[in-house]
Amino acid sequence: MNSKTATPPRRATTARPAEIVREYGPFDGAGRVNGVTHDGQRVWASVGAQILAFDPTSGETTRTLEHAGDAGTAFDGTHLYQIAEARIDKIDPATGQVLHTIPAPGGGSDSGLTWAEGSLWVGQYRDRKIHQIDPSTGAIRRTIESDSFVTGVTWVDGELWHGTWEGEASDIRRIDPASGAVLERLDMPPGTGVSGLESDGTDLFYCGGGESGKVRAVRRPKAA
Amino acid sequence: MDSLITASARALAAGDALGALKRVALRDDPPALALRGIAMAQLGEHPRARELLRRAGRGFGAREELARARCVVAEAEVALAMRDLGGSPRPLAAAAATLDAHADRANALQARLIAARRLVLLGRLDEATAALAQLDARGLSPALAAVAELVAAELALRSLRVDTARASLAQARAAAERSGVPALQAEVARALATLDQPAARRQTQGGEQALTLEAVAALLASQALVVDACRHGLGHGSAWVALARRPVLFALARALAQAWPGGVDREALIADAFRTRRPDETHRARLRVEIGRLRALVKTMARIEATGRGFVLQPLDGREVVLLAPPFDGDQASLVALLSDGAAWSTSALALALGASQRTVQRALAELETEGRVRAIGQARSRRWLAPTLAGFTTILLLPAALPIE
Repeated sequence: MNSKTATPPRRATTARPAEIVREYGPFDGAGRVNGVTHDGQRVWASVGAQILAFDPTSGETTRTLEHAGDAGTAFDGTHLYQIAEARIDKIDPATGQVLHTIPAPGGGSDSGLTWAEGSLWVGQYRDRKIHQIDPSTGAIRRTIESDSFVTGVTWVDGELWHGTWEGEASDIRRIDPASGAVLERLDMPPGTGVSGLESDGTDLFYCGGGESGKVRAVRRPKAA
Repeated sequence: MDSLITASARALAAGDALGALKRVALRDDPPALALRGIAMAQLGEHPRARELLRRAGRGFGAREELARARCVVAEAEVALAMRDLGGSPRPLAAAAATLDAHADRANALQARLIAARRLVLLGRLDEATAALAQLDARGLSPALAAVAELVAAELALRSLRVDTARASLAQARAAAERSGVPALQAEVARALATLDQPAARRQTQGGEQALTLEAVAALLASQALVVDACRHGLGHGSAWVALARRPVLFALARALAQAWPGGVDREALIADAFRTRRPDETHRARLRVEIGRLRALVKTMARIEATGRGFVLQPLDGREVVLLAPPFDGDQASLVALLSDGAAWSTSALALALGASQRTVQRALAELETEGRVRAIGQARSRRWLAPTLAGFTTILLLPAALPIE
């Protein structure tokens, strides 16, 4: 559990406009993008009734799974995890078969999912929280408080980033995993929402674009 | 949006209101309240829907003005379905502006369409026509396009432009079919059916003949001098003298038209116009005065000649005289016919037009209201009476367009 007394050292937040490198979609027959993840080669996006995978170089859809996805999507190196209604399904990406199901920690108010270091990290949208949970039982290991609506979560190089989207304002921010303090912020253009966030492991973030049905690639800033 | 909100919105868009409700039934956050409100509206639970939408609107944060504007639009549509027209139109106009500012075209159009429908329901037809004309219908969803055409058809029918109404209804039908919403299709079919029902009767010495709206429009556009016992007036082509507020003069005109090309005896005219069976000299004097007034009003259309026993109507330019009567007899028919101009009438104006007592008119209106053939807006002295609209505006089905909530 979190240490009770940890007061974060006050660090200046650097804010800058997000640099959108490329846009994908809207995809044929698909609705809003509710979650994104990256498996090392392909980008996966949950688009309501389906989860689809596309090649980020060509932008072409290479695979679709008939599986409902209402919020975040994650990849643990082998399996996909998908939030649907109030549960998290563990899915075999080769067959689309659901292997395991755990309850979502927010009971359906969940938004944003990623896998890191043996845990699933789940954003709880309007409650402005990120839960670290046990992927086999769904038990909450710890909870990080944010000061914004959480719409996507990802870990990269030991940095915890999450997407926010409240009304017209949306950004991608790096927070201190211990205190929840905002360390760095990439502001999305007005009217551009972030629904789902995943790093490609190097210098890009993929962001779900909500109702626009798009997935956007945003440049990850070099560590200062 | 979070996962259950998304799942619930997905169910609602697919027409599964109960499924949508089930997913968010126990949640009280603003997006859930909004979805519950919309689902309740689709299930016909209007007062509850309204309360939920109001709470949702209040709950959204300062940065969520778009979501709040969508709630205002949904709430306005529920108010319309409840026939609660008392509120100020300003919040809806403000919401439309907010939606425009956020490039939410579909919902902005929906807001403006609701405002136009409200004006039709209030009997403010000129304003409704203007509001509808300003709507940029390009890119409307099929369901919204169908409703826009229904409103246009209604306005056209009120001014007896039957061809325009038919054209609008044909477009409404095509749009309703594209929308795949059965209730909307039924509504268009209902509106089309009213076009084929008898709308009036043509009365001549020889007998009478039922006329459809189209036949009425053709008759009014013809050369004939029409004495119209539906709208209480007379005219030919675009020339029109309204006698709705001059019941005695209208009774005289009607009696003269009924007898045309013959004349009417003084005694018969007195009995008809003054409702008395024992005429004396004062009635004859009064008849002269009233005929003089009528003569002056219609002098560009017809002469009223005195004969040995009474008076005869002689239209100018050798026109024919046609008497147009309501589709069935009685005070109720006359009331419905008067209201068919779509304007809002007060009880006293109706009583005046029919030459009946206010009490009689009130009784007739109350009976018609229970049959759903007239409707009232306002209370007490400001109460006004209107004909029911052709398109019943029952389509709360439009609300999915107000999605997504965020």
